[in-house]
Formats: sequence, structure tokens, C-alpha cells
Amino acid sequence: MAASSSVVSVAAAAAAVPGVSTSADFSDLRDIKKQLLLIAGLTRERGLLHSSKWSAELAFSLPALPLSELQPPPPLTEEDAQDVDAYTLAKAYFDVKEYDRAAHFLQGCNSKKAYFLYMYSRYLSGEKKKDDETVDSLGPLEKGQVKNEALRELRVELSRKHQARGLDGFGLYLYGVVLRKLDLVKEAIDVFVEATHVLPLHWGAWLELCNLITDKEMLKFLSLPDTWMKEFFLAHIYTELQLIEEALQKYQHLIDVGFSKSSYIVSQIAVAYHNIRDIDKALSIFNELRKQDPYRIENMDTFSNLLYVRSMKSELSYLAHNLCEIDKYRVETCCVIGNYYSLRSQHEKAALYFQRALKLNPRYLGAWTLMGHEYMEMKNTSAAIQAYRHAIEVNKRDYRAWYGLGQTYEILKMPFYCLYYYRRAHQLRPNDSRMLVALGECYEKLNQLVEAKKCYWRAYAVGDVEKMALVKLAKLHEQLTESEQAAQCYIKYIQDIYSCGEVVEHLEESTAFRYLAQYYFKCKLWDEASTCAQKCCAFNDTREEGKALLRQILQLRNQGETPSTDTPAEQLTNLKHASSPQL
Amino acid sequence: MMTNGVVHANLFGIKDWVTPYKIAVLVLLNEMGRTGEGAVSLVERRKLNQLLLPLLQGPDITLSKLYKLIEESCPQLANSVQIRIKLMAEGELKDMEQFFDDLSDSFSGTEPEVHKTSVVGLFLRHMILAYSKLSFSQVFKLYTALQQYFQNGEKKSVEDADMDREDAERQMEKEELDVSVREEEVSCSGPLSQKQAEFFLSQQAALLKNDETKALTPASLQKELNNLLKFNPDFAEAHYLSYLNNLRVQDVFSSTHSLLHYFDRLILTGAEGKSNGEEGYGRSLRYAALNLAALHCRFGHYQQAELALQEAIRIAQESNDHVCLQHCLSWLYVLGQKRADSYVLLEHSVKKAVHFGLPYLASLGIQSLVQQRAFAGKTANKLMDALKDSDLLHWKHSLSELIDISIAQKTAIWRLYGRSTMALQQAQMLLSMNSLESVNAGVQQNNTESFAVALCHLAELHAEQGCFTAAAEVLQHLKERFPPNSQHAQLWMLCDQKIQFDRAMNDGKFHLADSLVTGITALNGIEGVYRKAVVKQAQNQMTEAHKLLQKLLTYCQKLKNTEMVISVLLSVAELYWRSSSPTIAMPVLLEALALSKEYRLQYLASETVLNLAYAQLILGIPEQALTLLHMAIEPILADGAILDKGRAMFLVSKCQVASAASYDPVKRAEALEAAVENLNEAKNYFAKVDCRERIRDVAYFQARLYHALGKTQERNQCAMVFRQLHQELPSHGVPLINHL
Repeated sequence: MAASSSVVSVAAAAAAVPGVSTSADFSDLRDIKKQLLLIAGLTRERGLLHSSKWSAELAFSLPALPLSELQPPPPLTEEDAQDVDAYTLAKAYFDVKEYDRAAHFLQGCNSKKAYFLYMYSRYLSGEKKKDDETVDSLGPLEKGQVKNEALRELRVELSRKHQARGLDGFGLYLYGVVLRKLDLVKEAIDVFVEATHVLPLHWGAWLELCNLITDKEMLKFLSLPDTWMKEFFLAHIYTELQLIEEALQKYQHLIDVGFSKSSYIVSQIAVAYHNIRDIDKALSIFNELRKQDPYRIENMDTFSNLLYVRSMKSELSYLAHNLCEIDKYRVETCCVIGNYYSLRSQHEKAALYFQRALKLNPRYLGAWTLMGHEYMEMKNTSAAIQAYRHAIEVNKRDYRAWYGLGQTYEILKMPFYCLYYYRRAHQLRPNDSRMLVALGECYEKLNQLVEAKKCYWRAYAVGDVEKMALVKLAKLHEQLTESEQAAQCYIKYIQDIYSCGEVVEHLEESTAFRYLAQYYFKCKLWDEASTCAQKCCAFNDTREEGKALLRQILQLRNQGETPSTDTPAEQLTNLKHASSPQL
Repeated sequence: MMTNGVVHANLFGIKDWVTPYKIAVLVLLNEMGRTGEGAVSLVERRKLNQLLLPLLQGPDITLSKLYKLIEESCPQLANSVQIRIKLMAEGELKDMEQFFDDLSDSFSGTEPEVHKTSVVGLFLRHMILAYSKLSFSQVFKLYTALQQYFQNGEKKSVEDADMDREDAERQMEKEELDVSVREEEVSCSGPLSQKQAEFFLSQQAALLKNDETKALTPASLQKELNNLLKFNPDFAEAHYLSYLNNLRVQDVFSSTHSLLHYFDRLILTGAEGKSNGEEGYGRSLRYAALNLAALHCRFGHYQQAELALQEAIRIAQESNDHVCLQHCLSWLYVLGQKRADSYVLLEHSVKKAVHFGLPYLASLGIQSLVQQRAFAGKTANKLMDALKDSDLLHWKHSLSELIDISIAQKTAIWRLYGRSTMALQQAQMLLSMNSLESVNAGVQQNNTESFAVALCHLAELHAEQGCFTAAAEVLQHLKERFPPNSQHAQLWMLCDQKIQFDRAMNDGKFHLADSLVTGITALNGIEGVYRKAVVKQAQNQMTEAHKLLQKLLTYCQKLKNTEMVISVLLSVAELYWRSSSPTIAMPVLLEALALSKEYRLQYLASETVLNLAYAQLILGIPEQALTLLHMAIEPILADGAILDKGRAMFLVSKCQVASAASYDPVKRAEALEAAVENLNEAKNYFAKVDCRERIRDVAYFQARLYHALGKTQERNQCAMVFRQLHQELPSHGVPLINHL
């Protein structure tokens, strides 16, 4: 009981002593559950709804506690008692979004809780007014200048309190948010780190930190508190920074220690699989998630992307209608509907829904890119370019937008011009074969065959998604009359296809066999040549050639030519076992 | 509002918005209408009318500035405007509403004060329309903005004598904020209105083009631009300026980024502006590729530039855009300059450009053609004719930039042909013409390449004539006008180093010259190698010098750089006769002579003749040498550098002495006297360029002559001079008098 009582006291004082409340391991899940329930309550009292939701969700995934272990709400202090009337009234106003009114009645309150609510309502009131202002401003240039007027005052007051060490974990969080809104990123990061030390349980502070950290190096230099919350944070940020392997490891670990029922973790894993394009796994996880939590809207846009990629029309339609019933004015819903229309080739309507998504949340990045894709489909290249550019403005690291820009210019037949965009996309995703193949194609169009070869080879090396890099490489070699390398590429390609065991028809299979047949024929390896020629006969477009070749081989064999046993034969044995071809 | 599926910032499609400044202007207009004929004198009214247009079209200015402007033309009106604005700002919202209601009255009546379609009338109607479109909250916002505008104006006029407590408190709060916020504030005080931003951009762009030193520094300009883009990301022109700015600091990545961003943005505005969207859109695509080619060319990525250019050409061809194709063709020439047949392209380009009525491109083409032909050895009169013709075009279309280029080109051509006087005259003409131009048109172009070229030529010409202080002054001026990081700075850097190198060589300070070689090589590889060889030769490292020269010779012959080929040939010949084999030098010199005659490079031709005569002298046929010299001495004395003049005179006297050997004593004495005279002249020339080594040689030679003539006193004097100089200067083991 000693441990639990210490938790209560710490949390009640809003964690004045850092680092005591939470341990670094997951040995005591009951304790964690208690902490989660507690923080859910605390955040709810302060109007931090998203953090409260997150904590509650996570707490729900853990086994229920018996009555004896349930915590009583933290006792009220003298200060709280003084402010309880004002707080109760203000909280009611706050809940109905009358922020100014709430702030007015909280003026002069001393308790930490009331003070936080006071500041927070002022902040939210400023944000609300800012959004309203944007609609009717005086002139286009003023639009960019609409600011949350309250931010500066809040910053001054909070920094004064901060210097006097008068801020609790929630206060620090609010201070950080204000700093971030003022674009003072460095200071904001410092404050958020402090906030996580003082009150590690508050997920909001961690989440804000996630948004501010741009690369792995930055992450390395942060001194974060050593608690179990850090595991969730790390997993989340690894997903954000596209370090999917690490993220999946972390999440697996979290599931292993007992969070297997958490819909948050499950959805994050699904998103991670989506990011590494492991579509089947991601799909099955999402289906599972929807069974557990049928009214969930978060992450459903990602799910719809997956359905789109797999062209699963009926499932996508079902999802779209379902979500539309739940809440049709959500960004995710609009996005799913947009995807649905896109799949049905009703691109105009799709674009309309993506626009609606953007109206609901102008910073919703995915919609800009998706809208760009729709415009591409409609052959409205200039609008597509605009949409992609907007996407890049929101997030410079959006590789899909860069890739989309490249594609647009490629369609406009400007292969040199689009090189720049593909390069940017490649920089952001160095191990994605699609950009490399696109780059290679551009180089090929510009007749820069050496570069093109490099790109294709690299695309194959990083794991080709579309299985086209090798064929293209082979064709290049063919063009440059480097028959040996071309043959090796074709062999590798055929091996790849058969090892995959996919039934999908590969158009280039026949070409590969035809080339190989002719190659072996030239090398006078009759057996191999005839095998390949026979394979050729299986395809419509090469049937006649295959037959002709077979005839020729038969003829030559009958003339008594014996297969030579020098280098080509050796090579063949190599090829048969086909280790990595030396290119 | 959506066009083309893109959300627009400008909701009403009106560029004009009511701002407090505009209200102040409206008040002024209203006052002007109210005061009758008699109240304001005619002069004042005229001044006011002149003031109106810039007020209506210019960017927003502060209230105090506005007062001042009005006061300058009509003080009493300024007073009444001030009072009315004060009343409006310190009154109620009702006052402003009333004001706008009354505004439209000026159109009504039998004899309206303002005509509806006049400039003022249009402005008034724009404003009334914009005002009536404002929503309830916007009207209130406008009124508070007006109040603030008025207060800011007041604050400036009435110095803050009494700061009330509230202000003091605010001050305290401000002090508590740390420095970063203040910095942010500074950067946020960027241009506010659309017009202001446009004005800022066009001003900076013009400065970048014409006088870079006056523009903002690259860093601060970039800061301003970033600020501008933060407020209005759709402002595409800012991206282009940022591209230009990045070019200044040679930042290839950021400039590419800005350029592409600009065109991505432009595609929208282009499609919007034209009635048939596809046309404007395709147009910007072509020019995007063309600009990319130019960018790569600027950074020396010729292969990339060619690819981009091919793309531009292809798109332009597909859409039959001949104008764009013309631009491409000109660029194609620039890229293909090294190819032998490039002039065909150029001729074609000029013809087409004339056909499509593109005078700029046409005469630019002519100029390039002239340059190319000059190197190919066409006669001067033809070139000058062509230039004159294109000059006619320039004056007709007042293409002042091309006029400058043309004159700079003439300077260069005259120098190439070795006519220093003409070159000097042309350079001076360009420089003095600038002052004329600036008086007339108010455009000052003194940051262009042609000025740099002309000034460099001027410096070199002065240095040639031994006026080193003048040359240094010119260079100093160049340094100020083209700071080291600017685009054309390399020109004067090279020129400066060359002059220094020549001085060091004259002075016999070879180590100094050697240290300059690296600098020259960095700026111009071929020149650097040549100078390196010259230094090596002077330091008696003959084999190495020979190796370098041979390599350079084959390279330059491949490039068809005739000027350099001849110089190299001359150096090779010198090498031969310095290593006592003048017979081998002869054919080399003859080749050089043939080349320089063919290309009409008079300067190099006379230089060759000098060498030839010297070789003949060594071979023991001074009479031949003398006749040869008589042929060449005239152009040298007329146009040559001081050093060459001295060398020529020295050589003449040497030949005179040598040929006098066979004369009878009386004639011989005469010849020797003449030789002494020539030596004196040579000494004077050498003294001008501080060439003490040569002075020493002359003194030695003169002493010998005086000795032969029996003039002991003069002999002793010369001998003393020789001795002094000989002690000062290290001897490099080269036999005395064994150089030209």
C-alpha cells in the first residue's frame, strides 16, 4: 500500500517531485493501471480531453481492479477548497466552450488546478477567435497575419511563473504549447522535456514533443525521464520518423507485457505496417481493430488507403458508408469517401471530398497529396501541382507529394525537370524502389544510360516492390549489347517471380524467356535454349518465335554440332544456381 | 472561392482593400472637393493634383508622412485633413460610417465634383464598393485599425513626454521577454500591403540587375523574403527573387529550389490570368525548363543545361512557340560555343529573330557572331560594320544594355587587334556615356558586365603605358563597384593579378610572379599555365617550361584559341634562342607571324617581328633585321605597350651597332651616335615601367658605345649606373644582353 499512497500524494500535488511516481518497467501492471486512471481523471478535470481519452483507452485495455484497490479521488487541499465554487462554475462554462466566461470567473484563483484552467481557457479563447478571424479578415495579406492575440500575454505570465518555479506539469505543458505556437521551437522543446520530467503520465506533453522532433539525432540528445511512458513515446516517434523496424519492436514489446487489448497500440502497429507497405498484415490488423472498436474513426483513412491499394471496392464502400453514419464531418470520413470515389474513377467527387477534409482541417496533410493524385487522374496538371505544393508547404518531408510532382512533370513530358522532384523524394525515402525506378526511367528518357543502370540496380538492391527494375535493367543491357549482363538480369527476374510464387500475370516473363532462349542459342547451349524456347511457347506473343527456335535447334543438333564445354557452360552452372550476378 | 479546384485567398477578386491609409486619402479627396475654387491657389492645386497619383497608386505610408506630403503642397488643406481624421478617429464608429455614406454624394448632382470614369472617380468607386462588401465585424476591425493608425501618427508627431503608468507597465513586460522575441518582432515588421510587397520586390530586382551594391545584402534580403512568404505563400514573385538572391551567393541548391517553386506557383497564376488557361500554362512550362537550363549554365553544369534546354526546345516546338524557340536557340549557341559549327546556329538564330521581330535577341546574336568572327580572324571593317548596324537597331529600340555591350565589345576588338588608342577611346566613351544616360532616363546601369569589361581594359591599358597608379585607381573603383562575391568580380580579379604579374616580371621578382600564378590559374586555367611557363623560363628551368608550353600549344590549337597559340609560339621561340639555337626558332616564329597576320592581330604580329629580328641579329644578319624592324617599329611606337617600345628601340640600336661593324669609321661613328640616341629613348621607356634589369643592360651597352666613341665622361657615368644596378639586382646566370 505504501507504493500506491506515494503515487497518490505525488499526483495530487501535481508531481512536485519528479521521477518518483513511475517506474521504468512494466512489472506492476496494476500500479500502471492505477496511474492511468488517476491521470485520466486529472486531465479530464483540466479539460485536456485528448490526453484523457488516451489514458482512459489504455487503462481500459488492462484488467479491471477489484474494489479494494480502486483509488479514491485525491483529497482536496486548502487552496482547492477555496476555489472549488469558482472552479465548478468555470468548468461548466468551459465544457460548453464559453472560454472567456470561464476565464473571467477564474480570475484570482490560486489553486494549481484553477490556475491551469484559467490560463487554458484564455489560450483556447484566443485560438477560437483566431480561427473565426481567418474567415473575415481585411485583405489577403492580413490573412497570414492573424494571430492568437492572447499568446504573447500568456507567454509573459507563464514565463514569470516558470522562473519562479510555480508551474506544475500541466502548466509547463501549456507553456510549451504557447511557445510552440509562437514558433519558439527550441524553447518549447526544453519546456516539454521539463514537463515530461515533472509529470510523466501526461501523454499530451509527449505527443507535442513528437511533433517538434525532426530527426533521430535530435532524439538522441534529449534527456527524457526513465519511465514506462517513455516506451510509448519512443514507439510513437519511431513511427513518425519512418524508423518502422524499431517502432514495431517497441510495440511488440508493449503487447508482450500486457497491453495486447489496447486499440491504440494495435492501430499504431497497423499504421507502421502500412508505412513499410506490408499491406496484407496491415489489412488484417485493421480488420481486427474494427471488430474490437467498430465506431472508431481515427486511422480509418490509413485503412482506406490500404483498401484502395488492394482495389477492394466493396470493403471500401462498406467502410465509407459506415463511417458516414458515425460522423460525416470528420476529416478521416471525408478522406475515406474521397478514396472510395477515386477507386470508382469518379475523380471530381473524390477531389470535392478531399477539399472538404481540408476545410475541416487545413493542416491535414494527407488530403493535399491525395487531392493532387485526383487532379492527376483528371489530367488537370496545374491544379495537381498546386495541391502537391500545398502538401509540401505543410510538411516538407512528404515524399509522396514530391513524387507526385515528379510524376506530373513526367506526364508533361519534362523528364529532366522532374528529375529534381524524384531526387527529393528519393532523399526522403532512400530505400523505396519506386522513386529509384522513376529516376531510372527519367534517365533512360534522357539517354543517360549509365545513371539509369545505377538507379535500376539500386532499386533491385533495396527490394523492388513492382518487380520491374530488373526487366528494365535487362533491357538497358540489351540495348547496350551487354548480352551477358542482360541474360543474368533476366534469369534473376525469372527466379524472383517464381520464388514469389505469385499467380499474377507478368507481362515481361515472355520477353525474358525469349531473350534467354536466343542468348543460349547464341552460346550454343542447346539444352537450355530449348527449355527456354519451350517456355516461350506458353505465351501468346512469343509462341511462334519459340517454335521457330526449337526447330532451328533441332536442325543444328541433327547436323552434329556438339555443345561446347568452355566458358558458357560454366557460366550456365553459375546461372542455374544464380547467386548474385556480378554487375 | 474555387477556380481550377484551388482555394483562393482573395475572396472577392478585388485587389483593393480599404485600409486606414486609404481612408486618409479619401478624406483628402473629399476635402479637395469641398474647398471651392478660391480657397486654394492655382499653384497649390496643381501641386496637389500632381501628388494625387503617387498617393493613389503607391504603397501605404504612415499618417505623419502623409501629412508632410500634403503640407508641402498645401499647408491649409493638410490642417483640415488632420482635423477631420482626428474627429473621425476620436469619435465614434458612426463617424466613419457617415463618411462613407457621404462619399458617393460626390458623383451626384447636376455638375458632379468627380467624374465617374476618371482616375479619382474609379478609386472612389473601388473604395466604396470594397467598403460596402465588408461584413459587420470587418467594419469594426477597420475602425479600430483606423484608430490605431491615427494614434501611431500622433505618437510620432507628439513626442512621448508623459508616459502614463500603463505604458510603463507595458514597458516592464516587454523587458521581461528575452531577445529572441524581439528579433522575431523585427522580422515581422515586413511589408504589409500587396502593393508594398510588389514595390519592394521590383525595387530589389532592379537593384540586383543594375547596381548590386545598393541592394540589400543577400542574408537580409533572404530574411525579408522569407518573412514575406510567411505572410503570403502564394506570392510567387518572391520565390523568383529568392532564386536571384541565391544566385548571388552561388548557392546551387537553394536557387534550384526557389526557381522550381516559382514556376510551380506561376503555373497557377498563368492559368488564371489568361482566358484560355492552357496557353498561359504551357508557356510557363517552357520557360521553366529554359530557366533551369540557364541556371545550370550559370553554375557550369553544361551537360545538365543541355538536357534542360532540349526539353525546353521540345515543348516549345510542340506548341509552336517561336519566340521561346528563339531564346532556346540563343542559349543553344551559348552552350555549343566550343563546337566548330556553332556560328551556323547563330546566323540562323539572328535571321529568325529578325523575322519574328525580336530586336534584343537579334542584336545579341549579332554581337555573339561578331565576337566569334573576331576570333576567327575576320577583317575589322566587316565586324565594325556589323556592330554599327546592330547599334542602329539598339538606338531605335533604345536597348541601352545592348549599347553598352556593343561598346565594350568594340573596346575588346580594338585591343585584340592591338590598337590601344582606339580601345582606350571606346572604353572612355562607355564610361562617360553612362553619366549621360543617367541624366536622361534615370536608369543607372553601372553594375553590368560591359562596364566591368571596359574598366578592366582601361586598367590594363593604363598599366601597359606605365601609369600604374592610374591602373590601381581603376582597379580600386572596380573593387568597390563589384564586390568580391558578385557575379562579375572574377573579371577584375584576373585583370588585377595579370597586372601584378607583369610588374613582378618586369621587376625581376620571379618568386612574386610565381606566387601569383596560382591565383591566375584559379580564374583562368589556360592563362595560368602560360604564365607558369613564362616564370619557369625566366627562372631558367627550360625543360619544364618547354614541356608546359608544348602541352599548352596542342591544347590551344584544339580549342582554336589563336591568340594564345601565337603567344605560346613566341615563348617557344624565345626558349630556343635563349638556349642558343636560333635556327630552330626561325620556323616557329614564321608560323607565329603567319598566324598573326592571318588573324590580323597586329600587336602580336609586331611582337613576332621583334623576335624575328632578334633571331636574325643572333644569326649574324643585322642588316636584314634592321629592315625588318623598320617595317614593324611604326605600329609598335604608335600602339604598343611601353615595354615593347623600349624593347624595339633597344633592338634597333643593337642592330645598328652590329651592322655598323662593316662601315667605314666616319659612317660608323654616325651610326653609333644614332644607336646611343635610340638607347636613350629605350632607357626612358624602361624607366617608365620600372624595368631595372633592362635599364642595366642598356647602361652596359651604352657604356660600351661611349667607349667606342671615345666619350669617357659619359662612359663612366653609364658604367656607374650599370654597376649600381648590377649590385642591386641578382644575376640569374643568363648572359647579359641575351634577351630581347
